[in-house]
Order: sequence, then structure tokens, then C-alpha cells
Amino acid sequence: MISRVAEHCFWLSRYLERAENSARILEVNQTLLLDFELPLEQQWKPLLTICGVHDYAASLESEAVQAYMTWDKENPSSITSSIASARENARIIREIISADMWERMNYYYLWMQNQISRHLYDHNRSDFYGQIRRINQLLHGIAEGTMLHGEAWEFFQLGKYMERACQTARILDVKYHMVSALSEPSSAHMENAHWSAILKSCSAYEPFHKQHHSLERRLGASVAEFLVFDPIFPRSVVFCVEQSLQAVHAISGNPRSRPTNDVEKSLRKLADWLHAATIDGMMLSDLHKGLTHVVDSIHDLGEACRRTFFDFQRETPAQTQEQNGQRQTQGVVKA
Amino acid sequence: MAQTVAASQARAPFAGYNAPLLFEEYQTHPRAYDELFVGAGLPHPAFGELMGMIGRLTTPEFMDKRALADLVFVNHGITFSVYSDRRGVEKIFPFDLIPRPVAANDWTHIDRGLRQRILALNLFLYDVYHDQRILKEKAIPAELVLKSKCFRKEMLGFTPPGKQYMHVCGTDLVRDAKGQFLVLEDNGRTPSGVSYVLENRVVMKRVFPRLFKHCKVRRVEDYPQKLRDSLASVGPEGAGAHPTIVLLSPGPYNSAYFEHSFLARNMGIELVLGQDLYVENDRVYLKTTRGPKKVDVIYRRLDDDFLDPEMFRPDSLLGVPGLMRAYFKGNVTLANAVGTGVCDDKAVYAYVPDMIRFYLSEEPILPNVPTHICDREEDLAYTLDRLDELVVKAVNESGGYGMLMGPASTETQRAEFRVKLKENPRNYIAQPVVTLSACPTWTDEGMQPRHVDLRPYIVSGTDTWVLPGGLTRTALTKGSLVVNSSQGGGSKDTWVMEAPATSGGNP
Repeated sequence: MISRVAEHCFWLSRYLERAENSARILEVNQTLLLDFELPLEQQWKPLLTICGVHDYAASLESEAVQAYMTWDKENPSSITSSIASARENARIIREIISADMWERMNYYYLWMQNQISRHLYDHNRSDFYGQIRRINQLLHGIAEGTMLHGEAWEFFQLGKYMERACQTARILDVKYHMVSALSEPSSAHMENAHWSAILKSCSAYEPFHKQHHSLERRLGASVAEFLVFDPIFPRSVVFCVEQSLQAVHAISGNPRSRPTNDVEKSLRKLADWLHAATIDGMMLSDLHKGLTHVVDSIHDLGEACRRTFFDFQRETPAQTQEQNGQRQTQGVVKA
Repeated sequence: MAQTVAASQARAPFAGYNAPLLFEEYQTHPRAYDELFVGAGLPHPAFGELMGMIGRLTTPEFMDKRALADLVFVNHGITFSVYSDRRGVEKIFPFDLIPRPVAANDWTHIDRGLRQRILALNLFLYDVYHDQRILKEKAIPAELVLKSKCFRKEMLGFTPPGKQYMHVCGTDLVRDAKGQFLVLEDNGRTPSGVSYVLENRVVMKRVFPRLFKHCKVRRVEDYPQKLRDSLASVGPEGAGAHPTIVLLSPGPYNSAYFEHSFLARNMGIELVLGQDLYVENDRVYLKTTRGPKKVDVIYRRLDDDFLDPEMFRPDSLLGVPGLMRAYFKGNVTLANAVGTGVCDDKAVYAYVPDMIRFYLSEEPILPNVPTHICDREEDLAYTLDRLDELVVKAVNESGGYGMLMGPASTETQRAEFRVKLKENPRNYIAQPVVTLSACPTWTDEGMQPRHVDLRPYIVSGTDTWVLPGGLTRTALTKGSLVVNSSQGGGSKDTWVMEAPATSGGNP
């Protein structure tokens, strides 16, 4: 398929996933804060970090941060920006995605612009966040049932799982950091509440309890293990990496046993690293370092995707430069 | 929208019983030909059945249908963008639910006239880019053609595959006060609007399923396949029966991007931007995730100027460097061919009836609107004398830009045009104001006559096919004769009626 179109597919999917994850963590954080008194600095700042917002200087009050992360059009990480970017990518490749997908994508984009969504946000915050989560779920459902399961679909899958792996690692990282900041010994129940919140952020609360966990371990270690290593939980890092591998090999047609292009090689490297690692090892040394490795690897993977699939290279270097000049003028919607 | 519904329901508390019927208060235009009614409350006999069904609707019922239609448009994202607006702002093309019907015998006449016209235009293009017989025999002033802004001297001596130049043409027709169809202009470069024809039909079928069951309306849905087959029939030599066809678009910020995407989707071809293509060894390739793929036919929705920075505008980032080399080597078909714009020149348009006589030895079936070519001294004098009566148009503009509507103009505007006309007479033509036919249209003041035109689409490969119907554009403001979407016009679904089975040919 056309390289540029593949890139739009990939970003459409990433933005949808990003909107869903933002809604998840906003809701969970808000719920968590109903039960606990935390210093203002610790309430919402970690959430901004998860979302990659480092230059936020305005009020750290709950409503201000939520409004910023939900409605601020100037904030590229806000839900409304993610939905708008997803929709813009979809608009550009309308002939690739199915008509049903476009119609729903456009419907929810318009819904976000409308007073109805604002009203829901003001009067039933939880329902609002639930609705945002369902947008991504619905679109992936429609895609599964209506889009050709060819190359475009595989890029759609790849975008989803890469974004998700990254989000899971980030949520875990920042929340883990928050929990370790709770120094007082009396805060054990608080620590548990935090871990429950992490599980809920990832829709992992019930799946986690269905899986067997060693009682000898602290809850935190079990949760971290589940979110990183569980092979069948659809939001765990290992699961997402495995799905990404499947998508990438379906795109290239190369056998799994022989990683050939840069994307396959980087993914294989990450998968091997995860295979060799254990949670005890990670917890013992530094969970933060391990998770940062995951996030960085996925960032590198994005670069490899760009080099391998999106930036079509012709043999002669002179012409390549010219193309790079051109592509910058045609704003591909991505971040 | 919601307010209008509420207001009309407030007037008619027992909707369905006491509510006024849709056309009850409709009054035809005092001068214009009415597309639906012969007189007050009396529909044209050809549309008796259709009007019987629509006319049974009450106003509130109609408002419900309108709300449903609006929702379909918004959710489908059927939009266009206006250049003067902020980049990326999309609008919904206003749509009116009352169809604009065309009687079967009228359509037969239009269809014949358009086929005749496109045949002559194509022969003219071949001629002016080869022997220029028509210029040598002075049927058309040579200077007028050769100095046209859209004449491409690069095309001289080159024959496009299948000798076909105008693969898609949108010819704008209007109907005068007597009901006669006239040609207002030809759009032989990259005519747009056909996606609205197809989408309007989808919406109408959803809103009025029963009407379609009872009134025999000719299908428009085959357009994308017809266009694809037609393009496939004029592939370059060696491309085989299944050439790779792509649609080349200027990109998502172009006002017609929706249409490009719509057509690509429905034709089952790739939509590409200039940056997706490159030329190597005079062949055109598509950049794919699995390497290069050769392209045979390019349905381009990009003006000549932007096609190839090596040959035309060097600053174009939308085109493909080297594309014209590949074209001239015969390795790729461009549709439409380069240089067709010379026929869109409104001064050249004035000579199309002469072209028909010259090449086909026939009289034109569809007459032109009488046109004064300001490049001629006597025509210029005539025009300057009657600026308040005439419509003055720039020869290479479209979309309602660069024109003076005499009777509606101010003294300042006329003074401005007087200067422009004297400075550059070649750039202008003048026409009498045609009182365009009117069609009942729903407005804030209820059902009112509004002026309409008709743009049928003619698709030519090795054969010619005319889409039965076309885009009916409608002015939405009272008295306005300007129907362009960029000037606040709307559209209607055009219903070409099937000929009755018993009918024995043309009247």
C-alpha cells in the first residue's frame, strides 16, 4: 500500500488508543482522589507526566487539569485533540477505512464539538469518560467487522498495540513512583488503593484477580508483573509486543523466525529482553529503569517504522533529500 | 434546524390533520420557467405521479424528513471547504429535498446535444494541437485560441492515448423563460460535483424510499464504474486490460478532497498525492510499503499548472517532477489530457457552435447563451454601453468568481469593471441575463421558487456515456441567479424520469 496512507492508518489508530487511555487515567485518578487526601502536588502532576505533558504551568486543581486534558485544543495531548487528530487522519484516508468506520469517527468528532458532550462532562463525568473509552472500542469493533483485513488493517493493529504497550508502561511507572512516595507505614491500605487504581486504569482489576498470584509477594509486585508479563491480558506489555510482532510480519511477509527489516529486529529485541526479564529482577534493580527501557524501545520502534514503511526511499540520495523536503510541507497529523 | 421544526409544529398543533400541505401556498416565479408547476397548484403532466406523492406531505412531515436528511449529511461528513475560510474548515453543502425532475423526452434531447458537443470539442482539441485546420480556415480567430491562457503549446504534435482529451466534462446547462435548455459553459479541466450527485441520491433514497419505488427514476449509481472502465479503455500501450489507475489529488486541504476520496473509494482505485509518485526512466511509480509500483493511468484532479514542476510552475509541491516526460513518452495516460482548458475559455466557448458546424457539419442541438466577446471592438463597445443589463465574466474564472451581475451591480462595481474591460478586453465576455428556470425550494419563508441550473457529466474513453441526471445547483437567496456552492448556493437531486414503456420515441 501507499507509504503515506500506511502512516495515516497507523496514526489514526494510535490517536484513538491515546484518547481511550487518557480517559481511563483521568477517571481513575479522579475516583481515587475522592477517597484520599493527597498534597496538591501529588494529585494530578503524575498524570500529566504519564501523558507526556511537561510544560503545564497553570492550576493543579482537579477541575483545571481535567479540563486541560479533556477540552484544551491547544494541548496536543488532550482528548479533544486526540479525537480531532484521529478524525483528520481518517478523513485523509477515507477511501481506505470502511464507510462505517468513517461515519462513526466523524460522528464522535462532531459529538465532541457539541454541547451534548460538554453537558455529559459537567453532569456525569464518569459516563463521559466511559463514552470516550467506548469510541475507540467501537471503532476497533467496526474495523474488525467491516475493514479489509489486509495491509491497512495490520498498520491499524500495529498502531494500537504500540500505543497501548507504551501507555501501560507509563501508567505503571508513574503510579509506582507515587506509591513509593507514600513513606508512612500507616499507609498500607492507601498503597493497596493505589494499586487497585492502577489495575482499574488498565481495565485489569477483574482479569488480575482471575489469574493466580503468589501471596508471598507484595501486591505491588504482583500488579506490576501482571501488567508487564501476563501473556493473555490484552493490555499487558508482553501481549502488546506479541501482537505488534504479528502485525509487522503480516505487513512484510517475512517469517517470524527471520526478522529482516529494522522494525522486526527492534521488536524481536524488545520481546527477547522481556522474555529474559522477571518482575523480581526488575523490582529488585529498578522498576522505573525497566519501564523506561520499554517506553524508549517503543519510541525507537516508531522511528524504525518511519524509516522502513513510511519514508519511501529511492536509491539516489539526492532525490531522497528532495522528498524529505516535500513531506515536511504536507503536514501528516502525528505526534 | 430544531427551532424551525418547533416553530412549524407550533402553527400546526394537529400535525397530519390541519397542517398545510407542502405546496399549498406555493406561487410560481413571475417570469422564470417553473420546473415543477405549469401554474398555481398545477404540476407538469410529466411529473403528475411524483407531485401527487410529494404533494401529499404536510409541512411538519416534510420538516421531519429534512431533519433526517441533514443528519445523514453531517454523519457522512459530506462536506466541502471554501477557500476564503480558515484552512481546513468544512461546510455541508446545503441540500434541498425537493427533487428537480427532468422529463424523459427532455433528457433525450440533452443527451444527444451533449454527445454532439463533446465529440466536436474533442475533435477541436486534436485539431488545435496538430494541424490547426479550423484556425487556418478562419472558422475561429487563431489569435483567440493561441493566446488563450490555457492553450498549452507543449501539447503541439502530441497525441494522447486513444486520441481522447476530455475524459470527463461537466457542461453547465440553464433553462430560459421559455423552458429551452442552453449551454452556459463547459468544464473540461477538472469538473467537480459528481460526488454530491451520488450522495444526494443516497440521502433521497433513505428519506423517500416509497417515491423511488413508484416513480421510475434513472439510476446514477453506476458513475464510478463507468468512469473506471472508461479510464481503463484509454490506458497507455502495453498496460493491458487492467491498467493501474490512480486518482491524483492536491490533498486534504483542497475544497474537493471529499469528492476525490469518495470517487477513489467507489472506483476501487488508490487516492494519491503528488508526493506518493515519482518518475524514473520516464515511467511513473507509486511509493508503497513494499517498494515501487508502476502506474498507468492518472485521473488527476490537479490543474495543468501544478502537474509537473519541471515543465509548469516550478514552485508546485503538489505535482510530480518528470510526469510530463513520462506522458510525452506515452508511458502514462493523464485524464483529462493537458491543455483541455482552452475549451473552458469563455471566449473560445462562444465558438463551440461553429466547431460543431465545422467538424460535424451539423447544427448544434443545444444552443449557447448569446455571448459578446469583448476582444472584438464592437462587442466591447456594446458591453460598455450596457453594463447594467449584462453579465460580464472573466474568461478563465469559474465558481462565480470574477463576474459582474449587471442588474444587481452598484455604480462603483460597474466603474471598476469598466476599467478592467478597457485594460484587458480579451479577458472578458458579456452575456444577457438569462432568467434561469426556478424550482420549488424550501426556505425560511416556506416553499419558494429558486433559480436552478444543471451540470450533467459526460464520460469519454473509447465510448461516450452521459450520466442520466447531474448536479442541480440552486440559488438559496430570493431573486439570486448565482448558484455556485462557493457563493452560498445549494443542491438538489436531479431525477431523470424513465421513458414510459409505451412511448414511441422522441416528440
